[in-house]
Amino acid sequence: MELKDEIRIQAPRAQVYAALNDPEILRQSIPGCESLQKNSDTEFEATVTSKVGPLTAKLRGAVTLADLDPPAGYTLAGEGKGGPAGFAKVKARVALDDEGATTLLRYEVKAEVGGKLGQLGGAIIDRTARKLAGEFFQQFETLVSVPGAAEEATVAAPTHAPRAASTAAVWYFIAAVALALAAWILLS
Amino acid sequence: MDITVQDSKRWMGARLERKEDLRLVTGQGKYLADIVLPGMLHAVFVRSEYAHARITGIDVAAARALPGVVDVITGDEIRTRVKSMRQPVVLPNLPAKYPDYHALAVDKVKFHGDPVAVVIARDKYVAEDAAELVVVDYEELPVVVDAEQALAPGAPRVHDEEADNEMFAMTFTGGATADEQMRNEAEVQRIFDTAEVVVSNRFRVHRTGITPMEPRGVLCDWSLADGLTAWITTQRPHIDRLALIDILEIPGERVRVIAPRDQGGGFGVKAPFYRENVVIAYAARKLGKPVRWIETRYESLMNVGQERDQINDVEIAATKDGRLLALRNRGIANNGTGQTGVYWGFVMPFLGQVEMPNVYTWEKGDIKLRVATTNKACLTPSRAFGHFPTRFAIERSIDIVARRCGLEPADLRRRNMVPKLPYTTITGEYFDSGDFLKVWDSLLRQIDLPAFRREQVAARAHGRYLGIGFACGAELSGVASELLVPMENQPGYGAATVRVDPRGKVLIFGGDAPGGQGHETTVAQVVASIFGIDPSDTLVTTGDTGATPFGAGTIGARAGSYFVSAVHKACAELKEKITHVLAHDLGVRATTEEFAFTNGDVIYLRDPSRRKTFREIVERIIMFPVNLPEGEVGGLEATAFFEAAKPMICFNADFCIVEVRPETGEFTIKRWATSEDVGNVINQNIVDGQMHGAIVQGLSNAIFEEFIYTDEGQQLTADFEHYKLATAADVPDIELSYASTPCPHTPLGTRGIGEGRPSSVPGALCNAICDALSPFGIEVTELPLRPSTLWAQIRDAQARQH
Repeated sequence: MELKDEIRIQAPRAQVYAALNDPEILRQSIPGCESLQKNSDTEFEATVTSKVGPLTAKLRGAVTLADLDPPAGYTLAGEGKGGPAGFAKVKARVALDDEGATTLLRYEVKAEVGGKLGQLGGAIIDRTARKLAGEFFQQFETLVSVPGAAEEATVAAPTHAPRAASTAAVWYFIAAVALALAAWILLS
Repeated sequence: MDITVQDSKRWMGARLERKEDLRLVTGQGKYLADIVLPGMLHAVFVRSEYAHARITGIDVAAARALPGVVDVITGDEIRTRVKSMRQPVVLPNLPAKYPDYHALAVDKVKFHGDPVAVVIARDKYVAEDAAELVVVDYEELPVVVDAEQALAPGAPRVHDEEADNEMFAMTFTGGATADEQMRNEAEVQRIFDTAEVVVSNRFRVHRTGITPMEPRGVLCDWSLADGLTAWITTQRPHIDRLALIDILEIPGERVRVIAPRDQGGGFGVKAPFYRENVVIAYAARKLGKPVRWIETRYESLMNVGQERDQINDVEIAATKDGRLLALRNRGIANNGTGQTGVYWGFVMPFLGQVEMPNVYTWEKGDIKLRVATTNKACLTPSRAFGHFPTRFAIERSIDIVARRCGLEPADLRRRNMVPKLPYTTITGEYFDSGDFLKVWDSLLRQIDLPAFRREQVAARAHGRYLGIGFACGAELSGVASELLVPMENQPGYGAATVRVDPRGKVLIFGGDAPGGQGHETTVAQVVASIFGIDPSDTLVTTGDTGATPFGAGTIGARAGSYFVSAVHKACAELKEKITHVLAHDLGVRATTEEFAFTNGDVIYLRDPSRRKTFREIVERIIMFPVNLPEGEVGGLEATAFFEAAKPMICFNADFCIVEVRPETGEFTIKRWATSEDVGNVINQNIVDGQMHGAIVQGLSNAIFEEFIYTDEGQQLTADFEHYKLATAADVPDIELSYASTPCPHTPLGTRGIGEGRPSSVPGALCNAICDALSPFGIEVTELPLRPSTLWAQIRDAQARQH
């Protein structure tokens, strides 16, 4: 499964930096994300739970960064394991560009999904991945572009309940976790 | 007066409604899942999501902590408490590298779906929830899913203890020694060097097979008094019993296996001895409680029913006027892990190569097979055992030769067909009886071929592409000990006990375990014909090792050949006793042949007024065994074993007519017609049903079904959305016809039929497609036959032509 897109975030790059430095914003942006944890400068862990279709999948994701070329780009490799529900392996290339008052984020994701998640079929995975990518960036942008939202988010209790979605989408949570974490470390 | 003949005419060959069907169509069938024991626990397996990985740890604490969970068993426990699965009773007598393995994975998992642990709980849903709480830590290993890559030097090894992934290799032609085989190879090469026509093609057949409506299941009960009672969805309860005795080391008198009377199909899938049997039996013994496992459709599609998956590099040398000279083949089978008792995956491709030469006369052949172990599920027997890929390859090759020679494929086939039986092929396969040419000519009478060719030419002028395709083949009608002992380490004889009841009813007990073939009806018809009673006056019991004589199982079309013949033999023995006593009672000296059994009476033919009802005479022998002829004792029960000296066969031939739309690659099957040699028929409905089912399966396998693995060994087709089966709307009307020759080696002239029948289907279909597309010069060499692939081939051909 491959996903390629670019998103223009309605905030100056400095503000995007700040938001991407904030694990709480990322946690709130990633659907179903429970925790983000930094283990070393290039290793991160995240946990995403989602009740999707017939499965309750709790995926523990580990992300490793490589080819760091700040601030132009980087690659990241992420892997999420959900036990019997399956697993997802993600490789992504991300690039950020400053465009005056806005920031252009371009990404390419290649994902390999295994176990039961992988068996749900490519059509479902593609469709849901695009949908969730949209949801992630919409939430992210909302939090970033509202003045002061970043500060509020860090103190607000988590309000984002795990949402129902197709099981196949769970891999994307990992991709999103990986993406966000990579951006965070890159820009911090 | 010929009363006996009248009676046998009445029941033999009749389109009797199946005795089984009333209960089955009114929801009163009793399948394994309908059997519930008090206090029964439920098992759910934890299976690997990786195709190849080392197990570095299993944490069962959370699963155990879930209320309702009774036990969680892992491979480490199984390994120390029961023997491995590789026991002699389930090992063929063929020289293969049999992997040793345990009922649950130990140390590493070798395919996506490998059982790692089992959760036992009071409730099935609790067991499912708990299975998700079992945390298995894996360290991924390099995966190999392609057979050729698996055989290449340096490939990741599926079994650590083996030096390479070549599980089995065999040369099927030329002799037993390497010298003889090399000499033969050289001789075959000389034929190719000088042949006028040489055709070489690589044929690929995908991984597909069979999906019984009822998946597998096991229910085990353990008691101090009786030991183990195991209800298993199985085609061979007696073999399962022996395997359980040996692996669990339980004294034989304390193990009883029961295949439920109603099974929703087996088709080969329920013939191997499976790991789940051992795990559930072990759990029942350990916990002292009944434990049941019912396979989900997901598990079924992940683990069983996967066959074919083969490459054949076929070369044919022929004269330019269409005489076949030599056949050379190099087969490569993708076996998966090779971890399935009795067959070990490779026995199917083994037999497929034996049957490679099909019904043609070759001067010489050079046929070799290599079987690769890979990180896929092990091949399981699936109706059309072994020869689906080789039959496709040979029947396609024949058409390609015909096209090269400018001959009608039907004529080329007839010209090279074995003209007279018995016959032994270049691989040593023995064809016992029948008349191939009679069947073939009867098929050809159903189509005016010259008229079709004119229609075809006329249609092309209007941009319509019609084609006709032929295929044929012989298959085993039951498997004789001569072949079954080396191939599966089991006897081939049929076994039956016939017990006459004092009330004039007849009870039949068979050691096989049918899965919907209609044994209760066909056996009833045979017994009714012999004793002159009504088929409803019989009861057939199968599948219970505690009640039936030993039999190798319901496999390889054994019912119509072996089981029915054993029943006949036992009945004949009883008939002789009945007439002996009756003659004594009537005060006459008469042989059995001088009595007629008809309409519930036993009649002395020389004086038909002297008769007794069947019930009177059998009750007298069973209940009043006084004043008997000298040396005779009371009672009416006999067990008989039947075995033919040599393997027996049946034969089929098909043609189909298709129309292909080159714009899309889509095609319509406009006609499907057959001719069959099925020997003498017991029940025409059942025979027709076997043919319909087989041809539909062949079409479904060839066009729709495909087990797909990614390069990482991920199996993507574990539900019926992704593993598509043909539906009624997908298949054509099937025109069946028969040109049978009674089998001289069975007492009733019957043949076992229906098992291998799907194999001719892909050849006939693809031959028709290629005939339709001959203006484009397209030869289909790979299955499945997808319109998208055809379309791409047509487009490429058009590009070449312009």
